Amino acid sequence: MSQTIAEKILAARAGLSHVTPGQIVDAYPDLVMSHTATWRSVSVMKKIGAKRLYDPNRLAIVLDHISPAKTEKYAADQQTSRNFAREYGIEKFYDVDAGIAHLVLMEHGHVKPGDLIVGTDSHCTIYGALGALGSGIGYTEVASVWVTGKLWMKVPTTIKLTLSGRFAAGVSAKDLMLHLIGTLGADGCGYKSVEFYGSALPAMSISERMTMANLAMEMGAKCVFVPPDDATREWLLPRLRDPASYRPVLADADASYEQSIDVDLSTLAPMVACPHQVENTKPVTEVLGTRIDQAFLGSCANGKYEDLAVAAGILKGRKIDPRVRLIVTPGSKQIMLEAMRTGVLATLMESGALVTNPGCGACAGDGGMMADGEVSLSTANRNFVGRMGSNKSSIYLASPATLAASALQGAIADPRDLL
Amino acid sequence: MQDTISGRIYKFGDNVNSDIIIAGRYLIYIEPAQLAKHAFEMLGEGFPEKLRSYDILVAGRNFGCGSAREQASTAIQGLGIKAVVAASFARTFYRNAINDGLPIVECPALYETVATNDEIAIDLAKGVISHAGKEYGFPQIPESVGKILKLGGLANYLKSTL
Amino acid sequence: MNMVEKILARRSGQKSVAPGDVVVADIDLMVMHDLSANFVMKVFENEMKGASIRDPSKLVFAFDHNFAPATREAAEALAAVRKFAAKHEVQHLFDSGCGSIHHVIMEAGLVAPGMIVIGCDSHTPIYGALGAFATGVGNNSMAALGFAHGKCWFKVPETIKIHFHGTPARAVQPRDVSQFVVGKLGEDGAIYKALEYAGPYIESLDVNDRALFPLQAIDVGGKCGFVNPDEKTLRHAQQLLGTRRAAARFELFQNDADCRYAEVIDIDVSRIEPQVACPPTVGNVKPIDAAVGTPINVAEAGGSTGGRLSDIRTLARCLANRRIHPGVRLQVVPASRDIYLAALKEGLFETLHTAGANIFPPSAGSNQAFNMGALAEDEVMISTQARNFPGRNGHPKARHFLASALTVAASALTGKITDPRTLEDL
Repeated sequence: MSQTIAEKILAARAGLSHVTPGQIVDAYPDLVMSHTATWRSVSVMKKIGAKRLYDPNRLAIVLDHISPAKTEKYAADQQTSRNFAREYGIEKFYDVDAGIAHLVLMEHGHVKPGDLIVGTDSHCTIYGALGALGSGIGYTEVASVWVTGKLWMKVPTTIKLTLSGRFAAGVSAKDLMLHLIGTLGADGCGYKSVEFYGSALPAMSISERMTMANLAMEMGAKCVFVPPDDATREWLLPRLRDPASYRPVLADADASYEQSIDVDLSTLAPMVACPHQVENTKPVTEVLGTRIDQAFLGSCANGKYEDLAVAAGILKGRKIDPRVRLIVTPGSKQIMLEAMRTGVLATLMESGALVTNPGCGACAGDGGMMADGEVSLSTANRNFVGRMGSNKSSIYLASPATLAASALQGAIADPRDLL
Repeated sequence: MQDTISGRIYKFGDNVNSDIIIAGRYLIYIEPAQLAKHAFEMLGEGFPEKLRSYDILVAGRNFGCGSAREQASTAIQGLGIKAVVAASFARTFYRNAINDGLPIVECPALYETVATNDEIAIDLAKGVISHAGKEYGFPQIPESVGKILKLGGLANYLKSTL
Repeated sequence: MNMVEKILARRSGQKSVAPGDVVVADIDLMVMHDLSANFVMKVFENEMKGASIRDPSKLVFAFDHNFAPATREAAEALAAVRKFAAKHEVQHLFDSGCGSIHHVIMEAGLVAPGMIVIGCDSHTPIYGALGAFATGVGNNSMAALGFAHGKCWFKVPETIKIHFHGTPARAVQPRDVSQFVVGKLGEDGAIYKALEYAGPYIESLDVNDRALFPLQAIDVGGKCGFVNPDEKTLRHAQQLLGTRRAAARFELFQNDADCRYAEVIDIDVSRIEPQVACPPTVGNVKPIDAAVGTPINVAEAGGSTGGRLSDIRTLARCLANRRIHPGVRLQVVPASRDIYLAALKEGLFETLHTAGANIFPPSAGSNQAFNMGALAEDEVMISTQARNFPGRNGHPKARHFLASALTVAASALTGKITDPRTLEDL
């Protein structure tokens, strides 16, 4: 029987030969990620009186959201997580200096094709950039998986997205995703799995794929897949402890899809998500000149090295508008190191940016708060009201290129004008 | 969990997101009462207090979209809300609600017809909502998952099985 | 007269002044950080309705505590100061991420020898290393006298001279010596007094290291601190000022040969060991033995007393090709954007980052824990910061030790407070 990637992975992790959409299975994840929320799961374990973990090797803990602590409460919560990791011998523990959980886990080779990964974060879908099934769950359920090793999962139907053509200069994976979210809506892929295909894929970098898999969550996707190919292998093999564990899971040729959507990348323009919903997207040309007070370059959607480099390419030799605060938060320690080595960090600083320590940064409310009436342009994945401070402030979302061009102008600008 | 839940409703629109339900800065709390003080406060002063006088929330598409934060469902419970009926839910909210023991019902037909302050009655066992003399069916939660809800959430369920 | 007396006399239009005289002097520069600017601005707007700022070019706001506001309230406070600055045409506004207030202001070439600088920050006396008279004032004085009239009254202080001689032992840094002074004099050892730092040891230091001494004048209750300006001061000031506007007000006031002191204290630097200020106060300074072995959770090189390029170099030299202790979070906070870029380009950050350090934006760092530096109840931090009072960094029971960059580096490597002399190759 032909199956999609999600079906194959769920069947394998539930010990079944095959599954069908709608079926509920008990699946055993390969990895359970918890971030800053870890202490809450620890408190659930205490509450239910559980002492033993199903398998400590399946836990990954990354303290990324408020890093480092801003208050003694955060400090105490982080200490709880740290102590838990020490007590249970969690090897995949990364402290407040590491960066964003998703990026850290992928960079360290903890995510591979065919894995089932759940975690305390909705953007776990990003693991699909490497062909793994990633999905977000709450902290109580994380504690449950820690203890029982399993969780119930409903097998989703799958949507097939086929990409052809190439991005025009100044257009990127972020614009593609904003276009899709705008077209399909915030629940356009609700409960569903998404698989990307098409002639455009082989040339798309792992960084771009991460942006795609990450943002598909904003149209409700339960999980997302870019089927592993040569680029995946090349990126991942040097990072895996056991290269033999690299075993791509691909869909059968005649797997059944609920819906098929084709996109020609060459037809896309830079897009902006306007306040206060991600689906409220417009071509950048419709919001040109909108004044901004702050620009945030970072997050698991666009805080990767390539994203920083694209912005630096535009900012090089130029100064940002003095009315704008440009905050750059590298997604991880490795990303920051690479940016140091290549001069990207120096270029960003020289343009007037504030470069913070790696982490979720302003996307998770860690710095970069805004006052009443202020406007932020951000490369992150959410623009909900009040997410970055005052509920009378507003957030626009865009690509790193659009962000860089706008920081120079002090207002939303079209990056194609600077290329 | 009771099989029937009835009371006065408050009606929201589409895409009510996790940040509206409870802002990120309150995630330092996990207790329902603490969270409830700030639930929906983005919508205006006094909103949390106002919602306390209602029994059931009704919403449009994609209720609870956004973050995987479980505190969204916990905060709603903290307000004394007994159930949420929506045209559809974001999947993380759906899971978290079940795991928190908050009954949730998908019923697009009801959403179209009700208004804030209406009275409705939900029969979870039968899969029917009654409103103004009419009945609206809804798909019941699968038995294997429903037992988590019946025991008042995943923590209780685990306690009963460990 | 000494330098302070000469400056106060000149700027109050008198031939001479003596300790105890009260003078009203013209102010050359008024400096505030993000927190104090917000307070002073409120006093000015609420208590002095309708008043205008006499000379907005003399005001400097440098946002150093919040490098990226962590709360909506902080964001509102910064926005209010920006608005105030725009309304009153205050041009010298250094926004979040500029660095640590006094380093930013000096690097910007705003302070010249001979100036009077007042600041709503207790470490304002730092400019005494540049041949200026500088002291901290309250929010009310700043708003009512400084903002409105460009003047302030001062009681001419008596001066204590501290004479440093001898050569420091290996691994003893200027910070150890400046902390030693605080321990020796005590937190009330020089109330209202001016402190002059002199002698062959002080003369041997560059201006950045000299600055540590007046910076800590407040920690012994001093009104101000200074180093009698010399050739080094002159060159350093010329380098900072270049052709900047402040250069026009440049005037070197040197002590007269026969100037008088309330007291002269002699310190033999060669006998000083590495020092730590132990909780709960800056005055609880002890030879490092008293704290050696205390396990630490956080180590930080940052703040006005430790985010200098020399501190970052010290750290990088110690940590090159090593890993910090796995139980330690090491935070490096450059004191200005220029220092950040210099350290980045010298490769120091790459070295430190690889060793396990976390590099933060130019700012006051963990000082008062606005964007970083909050500790849990039983956590311990060792840092180059200037203050260690309980509750300043998270839980009131958390402990904070202050030391030199070298001691911080040694401790980060071992996971406990470590005498840098015991690590042979440091």
